Amino acid sequence: MMKIKMRDKLRKWREENFRNSEQIVDVGEELINEHASKLGDDIWIIYEQVMIAALDCSRDDLAWSCLQELKRQFPDSHRVKRLAGMRLEALERYEDANKLYDSILQDDPTNTAARKRKISILRAQGKSSEAIRELNEYLEQFVGDQEAWHELSELYINEHDYAKAAFCLEELMMTNPHNHLYCEQYGEVKYTQGGLENLELARKYFAQALKLNNRNMRALFGLYMSASHVAASPKVSAKVKKDNVKYAAWAASQISRAYQVRRVREENVKCSAHGITKAVYTVAMVHNVNIIHL
Amino acid sequence: MSLKLTTQAYCKMLLHAAKYPHCAVNGLLVAEKHKKKDSPRDSVLCVDCVPLFHGALALAPMLEVALTLKSRLIRPGNIFPVFNCPILIDAWCKENKYVIAGYYQANERIKEARPNQVAEKVAARISENFSEAAMIMWKCREPSTDCFEDWIEAQKITAALLESKSYESLVDFDNHLDDLRNDWTNPEINKSVLHLC
Repeated sequence: MMKIKMRDKLRKWREENFRNSEQIVDVGEELINEHASKLGDDIWIIYEQVMIAALDCSRDDLAWSCLQELKRQFPDSHRVKRLAGMRLEALERYEDANKLYDSILQDDPTNTAARKRKISILRAQGKSSEAIRELNEYLEQFVGDQEAWHELSELYINEHDYAKAAFCLEELMMTNPHNHLYCEQYGEVKYTQGGLENLELARKYFAQALKLNNRNMRALFGLYMSASHVAASPKVSAKVKKDNVKYAAWAASQISRAYQVRRVREENVKCSAHGITKAVYTVAMVHNVNIIHL
Repeated sequence: MSLKLTTQAYCKMLLHAAKYPHCAVNGLLVAEKHKKKDSPRDSVLCVDCVPLFHGALALAPMLEVALTLKSRLIRPGNIFPVFNCPILIDAWCKENKYVIAGYYQANERIKEARPNQVAEKVAARISENFSEAAMIMWKCREPSTDCFEDWIEAQKITAALLESKSYESLVDFDNHLDDLRNDWTNPEINKSVLHLC
């Protein structure tokens, strides 16, 4: 049973792309050491997952042993070669890592994983402009790679090039129109760019994010901040000012309410059992519900 | 004019960085409000820290929420709505008689320790309200022991907290925005630090 739970945890973390490397190493190492023989073909993907987590935690010993198992099983694999490259990156042997990735690309020029690792090396070395340039070239070829668009938006944000970051997020919003996080992040970028037009746009996107997910606190705060700034601007008409004061007031009341709900929940947790029973009876009486005693 | 950190402030800063080793992190440092307003301090003691964000530090809205949002009172003619949020940073500072005295930042790459545009803007903002504001940029070298109230105690307690992986339960303002129940004042970690003292 324990083994199945551990395997399921690892699968969940893999599917959701969590970077909880210490936990993965803890669970994965135990699973590999105690139950390797009983995992069937799952073992290989687990070796890969644990190896990458081990690199994150500076556990080169564990990474090395996972890599050896994978090399033995898949001697000519590009996927394993890429993992070997990642280990070299972790050891800061960037030249050797690049050589490995170049050899993969010579064999297979469409290998996206190797290209992305080369870009990551540039980022790790602090060569932001080159990383941005390479990533742009990559995206010309692989225009649907959402992970790459998001990485590029991050790079632009770090370089304070908000206009280009916004462009990347626009690409992401087009292909993921229901993703409230992209809307909200776009709002943040527009807000940071500043200026009346951008603030109004930011407000709209924060509102859109809230429409998609009404519990997004950042969107709520963003809506309040952007509406407040627009209302306070000397360049707006009286009507625009009035509208934005209304939006800001609405956002503020929602924020206050969210905090109140949180406080009530916290207080409820501290209630005694008696208190909870009393509350249930009170609610039942108010709603004319018969309580069936179990 | 020197800067000193209490063990609690230092521990929480370190735990914040340890929780997100792959991200840039930043936060605020608070000091107790000086009773005599006009006489300058000879040293600033940062008694606590508020871990703010991890990841993309260069976006303005949430940083503004953290730094500027005040619990405003309704006054006649005030067009801005009231906030019934005693949990905002400004309200918390007032309640505890703290003043925001500094800012810390640890960049994504440990070799890059220069303050960037974000750090400079925040520091400028803080020094508008507190003239002796300090900025701490994390480097991967041993810090000078002068800036600690008690360096030996700080080292010992930090080591114990890192060992017990206390950083997993550290809450920053980002975590708070993800779920309002997460408490960025970190009372449990404060208790652990006190307990180990």
